[in-house]
Amino acid sequence: MTVKPFSESCFKTALAVAALQWLIVLCVSAQSAVWKSDSLQEVVVTGTGTRHLLKDAPVQTEVITRQMLQQYGGRSLEDILSGLTSSFAFSEGDMGSQMQLGGLGNSYILVLIDGKRIHGDVGGENDLSVISPQDIEKIEIVKGAQSALYGSDAMAGVINIITKKHTQKGVYAENSTRYGTHNDLRQYDMVALNIGRFGSQTKFQLQRSDGWQNTGEEYAEAMVITDSRNKTVNKFAGWQIAQRFTYSPVRNLELYADGSFYMKNINRPRNGTHPSCDVYTYDLHYKNASASAGGKWYLNGSEGQSQRNHLALDVDWNLHDYYYNYTARTYEYVLLSGEQFGAQNGEWFSVPMYAGQKKLQSDQQRVMGVLKGVFYLPGENTLHAGAEYRYDYLKAPDRTESGSASDRTAALYAQDEFNALKWLNLTAGLRFVHNQNFGVRLTPKLSAMLSAGDFRFRLGWSQGFKSPTVKELHYRYLHVMGSSTFFNIGNRDLKPQTSNYFSANVEYRGERLTASVTGYLNRLNDMIALTNVPVGEIPAGVTTAYLGDGSNNVQARMYKNMDDARTFGIDVNLSWKILRELSLTGAYSFLDTKAHLYDSAKDRLTEVTIDGMAHHKWSASLVYGHAFSNIYKMGVSVSTRGSSTRFYQNNGNGKPFQIWRVNTTHDFGRTGKLLTYRVEFGVDNIFNFVDRTMRPYHLGNNTSGTTLHLAFSIRFNYGKRSKQQHNLLTPKISNYEED
Amino acid sequence: MKKIKSFLFAAAAVALAAPLFTSCGDDDKKVETVEKVVENMVSEYTYNDRLVAETKAKSGNKEAVLLIAFGSTWNNAFLAFDKTVEAYKAAFPKADVFMSFSSDICINRASIGENKDDEGNIVKRDYYEPRYLLHAIGAAKYDKIYVQSLQVIPGEEFSAVVASVKKFMNNGYVASAHLDDDYLKKLQDEEAIMFGMPLLFDPEEDVPAVAQELSTLYASETQDGVVAFMGHGNPETYDTFKANVRYTQLEDELQKINPKFFVGTVDMPKNYKQDVLKRMKDAGYNDGKVYLHALMSIAGDHAHNDMAGEGSWDEEDPESEENSWFEYFKHNGYTPEVPTVNTHPQGLLELEGIRQIWIEHTKEAEFFEDAYHSMYPEEEEE
Repeated sequence: MTVKPFSESCFKTALAVAALQWLIVLCVSAQSAVWKSDSLQEVVVTGTGTRHLLKDAPVQTEVITRQMLQQYGGRSLEDILSGLTSSFAFSEGDMGSQMQLGGLGNSYILVLIDGKRIHGDVGGENDLSVISPQDIEKIEIVKGAQSALYGSDAMAGVINIITKKHTQKGVYAENSTRYGTHNDLRQYDMVALNIGRFGSQTKFQLQRSDGWQNTGEEYAEAMVITDSRNKTVNKFAGWQIAQRFTYSPVRNLELYADGSFYMKNINRPRNGTHPSCDVYTYDLHYKNASASAGGKWYLNGSEGQSQRNHLALDVDWNLHDYYYNYTARTYEYVLLSGEQFGAQNGEWFSVPMYAGQKKLQSDQQRVMGVLKGVFYLPGENTLHAGAEYRYDYLKAPDRTESGSASDRTAALYAQDEFNALKWLNLTAGLRFVHNQNFGVRLTPKLSAMLSAGDFRFRLGWSQGFKSPTVKELHYRYLHVMGSSTFFNIGNRDLKPQTSNYFSANVEYRGERLTASVTGYLNRLNDMIALTNVPVGEIPAGVTTAYLGDGSNNVQARMYKNMDDARTFGIDVNLSWKILRELSLTGAYSFLDTKAHLYDSAKDRLTEVTIDGMAHHKWSASLVYGHAFSNIYKMGVSVSTRGSSTRFYQNNGNGKPFQIWRVNTTHDFGRTGKLLTYRVEFGVDNIFNFVDRTMRPYHLGNNTSGTTLHLAFSIRFNYGKRSKQQHNLLTPKISNYEED
Repeated sequence: MKKIKSFLFAAAAVALAAPLFTSCGDDDKKVETVEKVVENMVSEYTYNDRLVAETKAKSGNKEAVLLIAFGSTWNNAFLAFDKTVEAYKAAFPKADVFMSFSSDICINRASIGENKDDEGNIVKRDYYEPRYLLHAIGAAKYDKIYVQSLQVIPGEEFSAVVASVKKFMNNGYVASAHLDDDYLKKLQDEEAIMFGMPLLFDPEEDVPAVAQELSTLYASETQDGVVAFMGHGNPETYDTFKANVRYTQLEDELQKINPKFFVGTVDMPKNYKQDVLKRMKDAGYNDGKVYLHALMSIAGDHAHNDMAGEGSWDEEDPESEENSWFEYFKHNGYTPEVPTVNTHPQGLLELEGIRQIWIEHTKEAEFFEDAYHSMYPEEEEE
C-alpha cells in the first residue's frame, strides 16, 4: 500500500487515528513514567559553546535527545536526521550523503563530532557513516551561520553530534548489534575504563549493507532498458576503530589524546550487461585517519561548579583518502610526467590499471589548531574568545593541474553573552577570518532572547563568509553516473560566498507541552554551484579523451558563482506529553528558495532551482513507554516522515513521499546492575512505499520498501555508578564537552 | 586491578596500532609511483603485442589496417563497427584489420558488458587503444601499415591520430617498450606507413563526393520536405585545423545539387540548430517536413537525444542545448521526421556508399612523409 504523499488532511487523520488507537489499546495506568523525556532539563552547548538549559539557550537550538534516539532505533545518521527532524533532506549517493539543510547542501553544513569538524568529502558529499548511530548520545542543530565559534562557513547550519562517553570510575563495556533487511549490519563496541586520573575509551564500529535496487528500468541508448543492474543504493562496508586517552595530572588540568582509523568500500554492480549504463570497472574505496591532542586548564573554581573560567587547546590532524579499486582492466587517461617515461614524458596517455590494483584519486589532509577561553565576567557577561588556524592540503595527481593544492585560513573570534536584564539576554559575536587567497573578512553575529514566563522570543542575525574550497578552485574530474557522464571543472576565478541570515523564534516550554515556531531568511551572494558550461571549457589536453564524434555525450560543468540566492523557511516543532507514559513530537518545515545565475551566452539573469529543494517536509513520533516490572521495560514508537515534491534542474523532480515506522524497545535488568540488556525490534516503511522512478531521473526517496530490523545490546558496568543526568545541575559528564 | 591494567595495555596497543593500518598492507596494489605506471604500460604493450602477433601468425598476412574511431558504448554503434570491419576485410583481403577506440571510457565499458551481435547473441567486445595497437603492429613487423581515421572532419580528434602515428615512427615509447628501429627505418625507406584521411578531408574531392552520395540517398525526402544533417563540430576553443568549415562547405555543395539540404552542428559556433532554422526560413522553407539525419560516423547519444529526442521542451530557452532538433523544429512549425533502421537513426558508417568513401581513402592512403625520427633528433645522434 502506498500512502498518498502530502495530502495534509490524510496525514492528520492518519496521525489522529494512530494516536487514538494507542490510547484505547494501551489503557494507560498510573505507573511511574519510564522515560523522563523532560526537555526542561535538556542542556545544549552548540550555539554558544557554553552550557545552557535548552529553554534558556540564547541561540535557537534544535535537539534530538537521547530518549528520541533510543526510541527511534535509527539505522544511520541520515535515517535519524530525516526521521526525527523535518529540516533535512537526503539522497544517499554513490559517494556519500547528499545532505540538505534549509535548502543548502553539504558544503554549507558544518558537521561536528563532539565540537570538532568532520573532514573530507567526495564530490561535495560527506561520508556520514563515519558516525555510528549507536554511538550518538544526542544531536544539536543550530541553523544559519549563527555561531561565531565554528566558522562563518556554516551558512546553512551546524550539526553537533555528541557521542557516548563513560567517565565514571571503573570499567564499562558495551556491545550493540543491529541487523536488518538487505544484510544490513550495524555493530558497535565500546570499552571504557577510568582509574585514578587516567581514562581510556576504545570504540569500534562496523556498518555494512548489500544495498538494493528499486527499479531495473533505465533510460539509456535512447530507450528504456528494463534489465539495468544499477542499484538504488550500492553495497558497502565500512569499519572504524577509535581510541582516546584522558589524563588529569593536576586538579585543574585535563589532557587528552586520541586517534582513529576508518575504511570503507563501495561496490558497484559487477553483473551489468550494458556498457552504456550499468558496467563499472572499479569500486570506490575510502580511508580516513585522525590524531588529535589537547587539554583544558581551569583557571578558577572546583569540579562540580558550573561556571569556571578556562582555556582550551586542541590540535588535530585528519586524513581522507579516496581510491579507485579496479575490478577489471581500466584505461586511465593521465599526463605522464617523469624522466622514466623517456620519450613519453609529457604525453597524455591511456595507462591501464588491472583488477586488484588501486589508484589514489584524492588525498585531503587538514591540520587545525584552536586555542580558546571562556571567561565569566562581572556584570552578567560570559566571554568566549578563541583563535583558530587551519591548513588544508589536497593531493590529486590526475585531478589537479599541478598535482596538489593547499589553503590556509586563520580566524579570531569573540562572543559575549550578556544578561542585560532578567528577561533579556544579548549575545554578540564577531569572527575575523583571514584566508590566504581571499584576504580578510569580519563577520558579525547578533542574537537576543526575551524571557516571559514559559515563553521565549529570539531574534538572530548573522553574517557568513565562505571562501571557495580547494576542490572548488582546483579539482577536475570525470564523473560517470550510469548513462550520464559529466566533466566537472574547478574554477580559479571564484569569489568567496557571503550570507546574511535572519531568524525570529517564539517558543513555549511548559511542563507538558513545548512548541516553537521559527522563521528564517538566508540571503546568499555569489553562491557557488556546479553549472552546465559549453564543452569548450574542458581544459586543453583532456579534450580528445572526452569529446566524441557523437557517440557519447559529456556534459561539462564548472563551479561558478551564482549571482544571488535566498532561502526562506518556517520551522515548527512540537512536543506534547499527552499522558505520563505517552508523548507526541512533531516537526514541520516550509522552505522556499530562489537563485539567479548569469547566463553569459544570453547576457541575462536566469532563475534556477536549487537542486533537491522541497517546499514541505514533516516528521512525527508517538512514543509510549511502560515499566512492567523493575526488570522489564518496554517502549513503542510510531513515527512518520514525509516530503512534498523535490525540485531539480535536470532529470525530473523527485516524487513526494510519506513513510511510517514502528520501533519497539525492551530493556531487561535492574538499573545499577552489572549487566543490562536491550532488545529492539522494528519495521520501517510499514506501507511499503517505494519510488520506482527509472534511472537517471531523481527519486523523492530511495527507501527500498518495508524493512525489518532487530537489535541486541549488552552493557557491562563495573565500578562506581551514578545515574547520569545530562543537565546543568550535575557536573558535565566529560571533558569532551564545551562549557 | 591486574585485570584492569591488562585491559589498559590492550587498549593502548590497539591505539598505537591504528595509525599503522594507514601505512601497511596494500602498497603493492597501489599504482602511484612512476615505476609502477611504467610497469603497467609495458605490460599492456606486451599484451597487445602478443595479440597482434597471434593474429599475424594465424592469418599470415603482411599488411595491417588500423581503424581509429572515437568509440561508443551503444550496441547499435558496435554493430556499425562490426559492419565496417567486415567491409574492410573484404576490401583488404591480404591485410589484418584492427579496430580501435580513442576513448578510454568506451573501451573500458565495452569490454565488461555483455553485448549483442546482429543476431541477438550475447558477445564479448574487446576494443583496443590505438597507440598500444599501433605499437603491437610495429612489434609484429608488418610490411605495410595503413592507419585510417574514422573521423568525419580533420579536427581535434584527427590531430590526436596524427600525433600517435608520428610518435610511432619516432619510436616514442618508454625505454623498455622501444621498437626495432631498423624496422621503423624500413617502413620509412619503403614508404610503407600509410595514412588514410577523415571522410571530409579534401574540400575539392571529398566534400563533393559525400554531397553526391547523401543527395542521392535522400533524394526522395526532398520531394516532400527539407533535409537537415546534424554534425558534431568543435567548439571554438578546439577548432583544430579550422576543420569546422567542412560543414559549411558540405552544405554549399549539397545545395548546389538541391537547395533543400542543410548542414548544422552541435558544437560549431554559428552553426547550431537555430542557425539552420534561420537559413531554412531565409530560403523560403517555413513549414512542412524536415528530415533529420546524423552526420556522424555512428549514431549514439547526440543522434538519439540531441537530434531525435522527443518529449521535453524548455519553453523559456528554446535554443537551449537541452532542446533537441526534433522538438526545436516541431515548435517552430515544422513536421520533423527521423528516418530509422531497426528503430535507430543511422550513422555514416552504416551507409554503404559513405563507408566506401572511407575505404577509398584507405586505398589511396598517403605515405606519412618525414615522420621517422622527426621528433627526437637527439636520440638519432646517440
